[in-house]
Parts: sequence; structure tokens; C-alpha cells
Amino acid sequence: MAKQVLSFTVNDEPTEALVQPWDTLLDALRERIGLTGPKEGCGTGDCGACTVHFDGKPIASCLVVAMQARGHNVRTIEGLGKPDALHPVQAAFVKHGVAQCGFCIPGVVMAAAALLEENPRPTEEEIRYGIAGNLCRCTGYTKMLTAITEAAGASAGRRS
Amino acid sequence: MSTVMKTTRDVKGIGLSIPRPDGPDKVTGQVQYVADLNPRGLLHAKLLRSPHAHAKIVRIDVSKAKALPGVRAVLTAADIPQLKKKAPTRAHAVLAIDRVVFAGQPVAAVAADEPAIAEEALDLIDVQYEVLPVAADPLESMKPGAPPVAELGTEADTSEAQAHGSIAGVSTEAKPSKAVNISQQARLQRGDVAKGFAESDVVIENTYRVPMVHQGYMEPHAVLAQWDSSGNLTLWASTQGSFNTRSEVADVLELPENRIKVIPMECGGGFGGKIRALCEPITAVLAKATNRPVRYVMTRKEELEAGMPAPQVIIKLKTGAKRDGTLMAIEAEAILESGAYSGAVLAVAGVFLASLYLFPNFDVKGFEVLTHKPSIAAYRAPVAPQTIFAIDSQMEQMAKKLGVDPVEFRLRHVQHEGDKMANNQPWLSNGAAEVLTRLAEHPIWKKRAEWKASAKDGKLRGTGISLGGWLGGLQPTGATVRLNPDGTLQVMTGQVDIAGTNIALAQIAATAYGVDIDKVKITTGDTDVAPVTGLSAGSKTTYTVGVAVIQAAEIARKQTLEIAAKELEASVHDLEIEDGKVVVRGVPDKGITLASIGKKGNLYMSKVEPVIGASHPAFSVQAPAFCAQLARIEVDPDTGEVTLHNFVVAQDVGKAINPAQIEGQMQGGAVQSLGMALTEALMYDDKARLTNPSLLDYRKLTSADLPNIETIIVEKPAPHGPFGARGVGEPPIVPAPAAIANAIEDATGVRLTHLPLSPERIALAIAAKS
Repeated sequence: MAKQVLSFTVNDEPTEALVQPWDTLLDALRERIGLTGPKEGCGTGDCGACTVHFDGKPIASCLVVAMQARGHNVRTIEGLGKPDALHPVQAAFVKHGVAQCGFCIPGVVMAAAALLEENPRPTEEEIRYGIAGNLCRCTGYTKMLTAITEAAGASAGRRS
Repeated sequence: MSTVMKTTRDVKGIGLSIPRPDGPDKVTGQVQYVADLNPRGLLHAKLLRSPHAHAKIVRIDVSKAKALPGVRAVLTAADIPQLKKKAPTRAHAVLAIDRVVFAGQPVAAVAADEPAIAEEALDLIDVQYEVLPVAADPLESMKPGAPPVAELGTEADTSEAQAHGSIAGVSTEAKPSKAVNISQQARLQRGDVAKGFAESDVVIENTYRVPMVHQGYMEPHAVLAQWDSSGNLTLWASTQGSFNTRSEVADVLELPENRIKVIPMECGGGFGGKIRALCEPITAVLAKATNRPVRYVMTRKEELEAGMPAPQVIIKLKTGAKRDGTLMAIEAEAILESGAYSGAVLAVAGVFLASLYLFPNFDVKGFEVLTHKPSIAAYRAPVAPQTIFAIDSQMEQMAKKLGVDPVEFRLRHVQHEGDKMANNQPWLSNGAAEVLTRLAEHPIWKKRAEWKASAKDGKLRGTGISLGGWLGGLQPTGATVRLNPDGTLQVMTGQVDIAGTNIALAQIAATAYGVDIDKVKITTGDTDVAPVTGLSAGSKTTYTVGVAVIQAAEIARKQTLEIAAKELEASVHDLEIEDGKVVVRGVPDKGITLASIGKKGNLYMSKVEPVIGASHPAFSVQAPAFCAQLARIEVDPDTGEVTLHNFVVAQDVGKAINPAQIEGQMQGGAVQSLGMALTEALMYDDKARLTNPSLLDYRKLTSADLPNIETIIVEKPAPHGPFGARGVGEPPIVPAPAAIANAIEDATGVRLTHLPLSPERIALAIAAKS
């Protein structure tokens, strides 16, 4: 089968990529565009390591066929913040030393950033459910909760 | 170890929660794992795996697969001359030769331009199997006449036990017997157990069962292999020990070690599952056959079906005590199901069963049994959680039956420094009693009666406590510390930083040399350039590499001071390093900067030697590390659902070099322990095929299942540890299964001895009782 042209917006940049009809959005981002921040931990939507924002909503990019993204807005971890200009969630993760092996972290950060976008002052339970689709094997989640709670304060402060 | 670590210098860098320097890269997705590498000309590998747990391979036809456009190589065992029958490890069994011994075993390998083409090629390979009888259950597999797993005459693999370096003095032996699937046996005995039981007033017998569980690292196994035209192989690996990977691959492929360079990439979790080689040899063979870089990344399904999980452990346990609480005897039979290849750490089970609490008479037998399942590997404190689940559950029941306080009962009998372990070694200094005492003082333990009485809405409430630990691993290691021409320090080791050990080592280097932490850069080198460094495993990275770093930094410091002494015409003993300068004590304006000393070591025509400290110590003294855990739970007796309300971890870390990183270890380890307790099991059908090969069905705990994990750091210095530190990684995975089982009994009156403590199991037990 011939490759198809996928035109969409990635991290605010108009982007074109040649993709196979069976490529997932995750494949397209990682293998065709070179954005390897989103990770493949399972390929079946169970672990959340591939979480990106699709028109602002967090999705498992391994469950989306790449061509479904045509004309849409996708944001990956690479487009959330830079090492010298971190998103409040990222800054709080660094400060609290959340990351251990780090493999789940891009997905967790994207899920948390989307949660705070929708709900700037989440309760502890809302945070727990907000990242419940993201499996982490290293941290036990406690420091993630601390960091996201702190980032919620910072984000809300930034807004007002 | 030859040297007792002491430092007279400022230790202000030690004990601070300094964020790790790679934190920003980790939270922005910049850190590179193997699967993120995409060199020019990259090919993608896929493996055809057996659907049968035990079958003869009658015929393999790869002609259609080879003809598919985009396929660059299709290999079977016949293409790999190094392959031999009687493979001692899974790494050696690169592809099945004429018989498959577990479902998921690779039988053919493909390299292609795209992953999808490689997958299509797998479908075109025609394998004709003759299905054979299966040994699916270890208790059946132990019996004479069971379907054989290994080829007759295959040697048992005890290298994992050595890798963990934990148990001396226990002889495990490969015993040929009529029971062909018993690959190792061990026995520890002292006193007269029959007499001990005869004199006991209370005797309790139980069989404990813990299923195979997966380490669950989020990054599946991955490797990238490339050869150069001179026959040198480079492997970009996700490994817990690059030197170990190099040795295993060299052994399997019959290559000199110096022809292989292993570059350890960021490791997305290992927990013992990425010590042994797995997919590295076949990927290297594919790269050789195609003369292209080849990348292999396992799928999650492959990880669960054909990774290297923890063994199933079945422990038959009998303990006896007198009415006054005196322990009399313990008799145990521990069966470790190792899957298709030998490699269990058999002795750990025996030593923990018979040594944590002191029984005057014991007889502990251990058996490693092979079955037609994927072979096992280490999983964070291998066999300790399973063993402690048994012995701690037993101690709790003994205390109940004797009518004594369960914490006091444990404290009365728990080992202390100098007590004799079951293998006759003395226990070394450890904080077992201290961590348990700390939790016994916790309000959640003190108010357990109130919590139980507060149950409402038909739910039941309970509290449980447990104590477990790890003996502490050892391995030779190395580090170098260099002074750069600008006065900064360059530290190099070969240890793989999975969990944040590099920041702790940088803190150690800064303190031991005498500079600020921001002047230290620490690098994990590849196997061509780094000093030989052991595995990141066995809770020994900071404990052993930390000592190498201290020694290397002290050597570099001594060189620095000697150079400064000449320049300043002062005695070395009067010199101090302060604010990037060597100064003469009491003469503040007399000094020389570290930068100028560094520059002199790298100047044309200079006669000053460069400052380089190198250390490569071997060790003989372990540092046992203990952890106690406390659970407050609620149980729904109708559904069997357990809700965790509080969970507290108290752990002896010797000296907390970086408390935030240590808390992360304690919390993460505790949640793995809770997963083993509550939800995790690899489930096999009677044909030894995995029935839950996805993360939906292999249920790990999520943030929504858990409370915050409270941590209490206890510091009882390890006499030989860097600044007194002990290993911290493994102890927290040990106690939770027993703590939860004890809490469930407190809440419901039901004692459960099989993991996981699933809602179904709990509800059925409650229903059976009432």
C-alpha cells in the first residue's frame, strides 16, 4: 500500500509526514517525525506512556490511527515546556525528584497538564483519577501527587 | 573491604535532597532510551514465538518470508553455529533448535525495513510442531515421570545467586535424580526438629503460595546492534549492568569481550529483569547477517509471555513454640518454580526462613523445579517477599495463638548483630528491631483497636504490620575522579543510573573531595571506557560504587594537595580546600585555585601530573537492610474488595545521602510489594499458556488504588558503607504481602496464605467461614 500524507499541527507547527495507513499516531510521531518523547509501554492503551494532547484533550496516541489526526492539533511532551522554560507540572516534578527511570514521566506530565487545564484546582481524588490511566512502576505515585498539587497552585496563580 | 570509610571533612553535601541533574531532561522527554534511537539504515527485528509450551519442531519453512519485499534476513537455529543443546541459560537458547520448552520461545527471527513488514514475514513462516506433554505445575513437575524440561545433563545455573552475592556457605547442588525436573536442591539444618516439635505446646502448619509475577518495568526490553567492518559489535542496551551484558553476549556468541562495546542507554526500569541477557544475542546475529543496524523492541505481550518473571514460590511451613512463647522448631520446604531454565536464588529462601527469627532447631529444604514456562530472573530482593510472606504470617498466627502482642513476639525473637544465621555466618549490624519498634510507636498501630471498632456500613476494618529485609549485595566496582583545567570535577563509573544513584554519587564525590555539588559532573561510561562496575542490583549501587567514588576522590584530593603544597611551599597537613581554592589554614590570602592546579596538569611542557584518582575496590562486608510496613485497611465482606486507607514504611537506610531519592525508593518499592500482595499474578492454563498477557489483565496498582505512602527514614549507620549508608532499593518490596494478610485477618478473622489477596479469594474465604 502507498504511504499517505498526514497534514496536521504538531506543537504549534504545521507539519506534514508520510505515513502508512496502519501507522498509529504514536508511530507517526516517533518514527516519521522524530518526536520520541511519547513512549510505547504497551501499544494497547493500558499504560498511558504515549499520552499526548489531541485538540487539547489527553489521549493514548497508540490507539489512534495516524491519519485520524489530519487537520487536528497535537501536542507532545516536546511542545509543553523546554528545560529552561518548564511547565509548572514539569518544574514541580523536577523539584520533588519524582522521576526515577523516567519512562512513564512524559505521559504522566501530559495527563496532569491536561487535568490542570480543565480543572485548575483539583482535589486529591481528582488528581488520583486524572493520572490513573498512567502506570508507573518506580515511584508509587506519592511524589507525583505532591508535585501536581503544587503545580495546581502555581498554574492557578499564573492565571489570576 | 579493606578500608573503613571515614572522612574528617565537611559532610554538608550529604543528607540534602538535591534534585537530580537529569530531572529537566526526564520531564521534557529529552532522555533517550533504546527505542528512541533511529540510525541511518535501521532495520527492525521481530521474533516468531512458539504457541506451544512443549513441542518438537518437525520442520520450519522460511522461503515465503524470505521472498517478501523489504525482508533483509530470516534466521532459524540452523543459521547460528554457536547454538548448542543443553543451553545453561535463556540467553544461550537464542532460538529453539528442535524442541520448544515454553510458550513464547523464539523459533525464528526476521529483520526488515519496517516493523510491519517484519510482522508480515512472521506470518509467512511455516513451522510444523509435534505437541508434547506439558509440565505446567511445579508440584507435578517434581515427581518422577513428569515430562522433562531441560535436556538431560544440562547444568544448573547458580550465577544469579552469585550475582546477588548474598548468601555464602549454603551449598546448592544440581542433583541428578529420578525427578528430572528438580534442578537444584539445598538444605539447612541445626538441632533436632522432631524433639523441638515434641516439646512445643503450639504447632502451626501452613502452605503459602506466591504466583509468578512480572517485574513490570515500563520500558520493555530493547536493544540496538551494529557491527563495524573490523568485526566489532556495538550494543545500545537497556540493561542493569553493561559489563554483565557484554560478558553474556560474548559467551553466547563466542566473541572476545573486547570486540563488544555495550553502551548503556537510559534504563526504563529493570528491578532485576534486565540483569541477564535476553534479546541481545539474536539482535546481534541479525545485525551481522544483514550488515545493518538492527533494533529489537519487545512488545508488552512478549514481555508478559516470554520475559523473565519472578519464580512461583510454594512454601510448606511448620513452626512450634512453648506456651511461654519460646520458639522451638521450624521445618520448611520451599519450592521455587524456575520455568524452563535454571537460575533461582534458592538459598535466600532458606536463610530468611530460618534466620530472621531465631529457632534453636530447624530443617529447611529448598528445591528448584523446572516447568514448561518462561524461565525466571531476579525481581527486587529475589524470593525475599515470598519468603517473608510465609514466615511473618506464621509469626503473627503464633502470637495470636499464644495470646501475646504480635510486635513484642517478633521483637523477642528477631535476630540481632552477632546472632548466627542458618548458614552459620553471624548477622551483621542491622536495624530490624529498630524499624519495627518505630512502627509500633506509630498512631496507626497504637489505635488499631479503635480503627477496628469504627467499622460501619457493613464494612470491616483492620490493621497489619510486617518486617522484612535484604542481606545486601556485593560486587567489585570502580570509579575515577579527575580534576579539570577549570577546577571542576569529572567522575566516571560504569554503573547504570536507573533510580537516581548518580546524584547520590555526585554528592559523595563533592563531599569527599571538598567542592560544591555543582562543580561535579558524573558520567556513566560504556564498557570501552568506564572502569569495570558491577550491576545496578542487589541494593548495592550506592553502597559499593559510593565507596569507590570516596576512595577515588580522596586520591584525587591527596594529589591536589601535594601539588598545592609544592606551589605554596607549605605542608600538606596545613592545607584545606575551600571555595574552589587550596588554602593554608590560618593564612586566608595564601592559596592556589583548583583551576590553576587543573591547568598545570594539561599545559604544554608542564611538569605537573594531571590529577586523576582511580579506585576499584572489592568488598567482603555486607550491610543488611530492614524495612517494616504498616497497613490500615477496610474490607467489604460481600465483594472482598480491600481499600487501603494508610500505608507506612519505616526503613533503616544507614545514612540518608539524598533523602528525597530514598523516599522515592521506599514508596515505589512499597507499591510493588502491595501489587504482589493484592493484584498481580501471571496466570497460566493447564497447557502452561499465559491467560493474561496484557496490562489490562495483569493488574498493576494505579494512583487511584493507593493512598500516599508515608515514609519514616531510620539511620543506623552501616560500619563499612559510604558515610554509613546502606542499600535502600530492595527492602521496601518485602513486607507488604504479610502486612496486608495480617490486616485482613485482623479485619475479617480469615487467614489467607495464597497471593494475590484478590477480592475473589477474600470474599470466598469469608463466605466459607460464615
